[in-house]
Amino acid sequence: MEPSPLIGPASTLGYPAPYWFLLGFKVLGFILHSVPMSLWLAGTIAAMLLNRYGHGHARRFASRLMQQMPLIIAAGVNLGIVPLLFTQVAYYRVFYPATILMAWPWLSIIVMLAVAYYGVYLHVLGLRGQAGWLKPYTGAAGWLAALLFILIGFFFTNGFSLMTNVGAWRDIWQHTSIAAAPLGTALNSGDPTLLPRFLMFLGLALTTLGAYALLDAAVFAGRESPEYHRAMPLLALKIRIPGLLLFALCGTWYFFGALPQATRDYMFSTWHAPLTVLTALSPGLACPFVLLLIRRFSRALCVLAAVVQFAAIALNAVSRQIVQNFELKPYLDVAAERVNMQWSPLILFLLLFVAGLGVLIWMIVQVAAVQRRELKHQPAGKKH
Amino acid sequence: MHYPWWHVPFITAPMLIAAIAVVHVLVSHYAVGGGLFLAIETRHAYRSANRDYLAYLKQHAWFFVLLTVAFGAITGVGIWWVIGLASPLATEMLIHIFVFGWAMEYVFFFLEIASAFIFFYYWDRLAPKIHTAIGFIYAGAAWLSLVLITGITSFMLNPGSWPQHPSFWVGFFNPQLVPQVLARTGGALLLTSLYVYLHASFKVKEPRLRNLIEMRSARPALLGAVLIVAGGMSWLTFLPESARSALLAATTLNVLMLLIFALTAIVFIVFYIGPYRNPGWLSPGFSILFLLFGLAAVATGEFVREAVRKPFVCYNVVLCNQVLPSEASALQQRGYLNGGTWTHAWVARNYPQVMRGGEVDAPALLTLSPEDRRSLGEVLFMYHCNDCHAPTIGYSGLAPMIRGWTPEMIDESVKRPEQLRFFMPPWMGTPQEAELLAAYLRTVVPPYPGGMQTGSAQ
Repeated sequence: MEPSPLIGPASTLGYPAPYWFLLGFKVLGFILHSVPMSLWLAGTIAAMLLNRYGHGHARRFASRLMQQMPLIIAAGVNLGIVPLLFTQVAYYRVFYPATILMAWPWLSIIVMLAVAYYGVYLHVLGLRGQAGWLKPYTGAAGWLAALLFILIGFFFTNGFSLMTNVGAWRDIWQHTSIAAAPLGTALNSGDPTLLPRFLMFLGLALTTLGAYALLDAAVFAGRESPEYHRAMPLLALKIRIPGLLLFALCGTWYFFGALPQATRDYMFSTWHAPLTVLTALSPGLACPFVLLLIRRFSRALCVLAAVVQFAAIALNAVSRQIVQNFELKPYLDVAAERVNMQWSPLILFLLLFVAGLGVLIWMIVQVAAVQRRELKHQPAGKKH
Repeated sequence: MHYPWWHVPFITAPMLIAAIAVVHVLVSHYAVGGGLFLAIETRHAYRSANRDYLAYLKQHAWFFVLLTVAFGAITGVGIWWVIGLASPLATEMLIHIFVFGWAMEYVFFFLEIASAFIFFYYWDRLAPKIHTAIGFIYAGAAWLSLVLITGITSFMLNPGSWPQHPSFWVGFFNPQLVPQVLARTGGALLLTSLYVYLHASFKVKEPRLRNLIEMRSARPALLGAVLIVAGGMSWLTFLPESARSALLAATTLNVLMLLIFALTAIVFIVFYIGPYRNPGWLSPGFSILFLLFGLAAVATGEFVREAVRKPFVCYNVVLCNQVLPSEASALQQRGYLNGGTWTHAWVARNYPQVMRGGEVDAPALLTLSPEDRRSLGEVLFMYHCNDCHAPTIGYSGLAPMIRGWTPEMIDESVKRPEQLRFFMPPWMGTPQEAELLAAYLRTVVPPYPGGMQTGSAQ
């Protein structure tokens, strides 16, 4: 039997905007979400390890990172809404069945996220000496949060890989249902792309964390000592090396060992080939900047390294999107759906988006002015 | 029909939506009212140069951020998660109708998060005017976020003329929008006072400051109670006829509605006589009791709001068993098993002997063995009935409901459920499929309870 009969009919309402618009926001949202998501995925565990085994500036960075983590998580959850929204608009016919098949693990993400979030808060209170009677639990809370973030990442990879692994639905469904109704206990564990894909992203997240150590030193760590700033590039390199190795190894495994031949051929055809090669190399592109920074610290170079890393995340997201559409092609042409344009709500949204951005920038300007003023008035002796 | 049906034993999948939604609402409403409270009170404290009150407000802002930004945001995403799992067709429809409504709400949500963090983390660091302005940015964004989400949730109860004129604005400005915005704003203000009381009763020891907090935070509760009553009355007025009838017909819902109004009235009277006119009442016991009252009122309101929509998830748009009303008659002709994407695939794979030319042959279903007929009846139960009924024990469990029914009664009710109860969807399969479902129900129906001496000849 063809597995495509498990994909339901298209919505009678049609897309509210052209496919390219929905796709654009989905990919843009995912790129933006990937930054904080990488930081909590790789950052929480790295911070816990650095705090346990690291010394001096490495421990200081770990402490800084964990204290920023509540904001990072808030940003990540918030930015995650955009790709989720547009995935549900354009990919609903595969998104809902896949997540229903693994409903319990999928729903558990919310519970784990809440526990991890409060675990981070508790850990931060411990770092600040404000945990009170909860002090003995602050270390465990940090480790628990780190573990849960990794598990959340793994379940997410399951969900989104199952979404395109349509061919496996029937068997998963047959084995995990009562009277044709899924119990929602499945995982996409039979998919050979699952593990390398997850580990590849973990590698990319580590490289992002390394780049963030530089960005933090350049932009947010004004009160830290010059020695701290000079130590960050080497720490960034130490974080990035295992990340690059993991990305390279699992990327090779994913691309040459797990993806079907047809997908590989597609990703090496026409203009996809340079994109594929660039995507594979992209996490390493920031390395020359890091090496230069080890010789001489420069805020501008730090920012540049972070921008290059952001481009690497963007390239990976774009390539992933191309693969996703190709994997779905035998079952579903997502671009072919009828468009029932909603002009006025779209325009109002764009206007509010611009206005909201304006308000956000105004608030950031106020905060930056405070930071500058405080830094200016800080006595030299108070610097670490 | 279009999607697989997630079977959640005992409680049924939609009850998970209710559970998460109620928990979320209790925090998200505080996120709206609390933002406005903090902005107004911080401005007042700055203007009156009341350092003690300002220090308290900072403490409260930390509590507020910890609860709303973390728990509120995650449970909000949780609702989205669970509606896609438990009610996929309705979610698909809502997302396609209101995607830009959600996108607009997202803009305000982003501003909420950013301004909440800045408001708290830059306390004592920003100039008072800027600090207060950021508080008001939060309050405005949070309330607009409430309005946008309410536009979507109120659509589910009464979409107005959307089925005839399907456009974003017709759906958004539905008859239930204003009533629900009023009631939710009221709920947000009322809950805020209760949360402030809870926090202050544990944190503030100094009597003068306690009295000040008590008096000032009683005002949102009083205004909130008035808005809840006004919103609630207009909510009743603009209910579709079937929803109002469901409310009147179901004893539980009657009692719950009465409970909401009674709890709101109690909170109003006690707040007016107590904290507002005669401060000095604030104690942990008092605040816990009143927070529980408030939580009970809001949770009950949410439950009633969900319950009166039956047999729809979205009134006149999507039926609770994930079928569009426009599909009903085709399903009755072609068959429910045939019309459902997943049910069709299940039959094709497991019962190829009843397939003719790629379609399920309805008469052939009755040639199956009794065990297979029962199994397919169970499939029909899952996809037609399990959204509201647990099979045996559990939420609205069917077996206890039909205890003692004769086979004839079961047959009749399967064929015409909407005549048995107007808030049930009609049977959407063929007569042969009705027989399969009845065959399944006959195996789960418990016998008539013994030991009753009613004097009947039975």
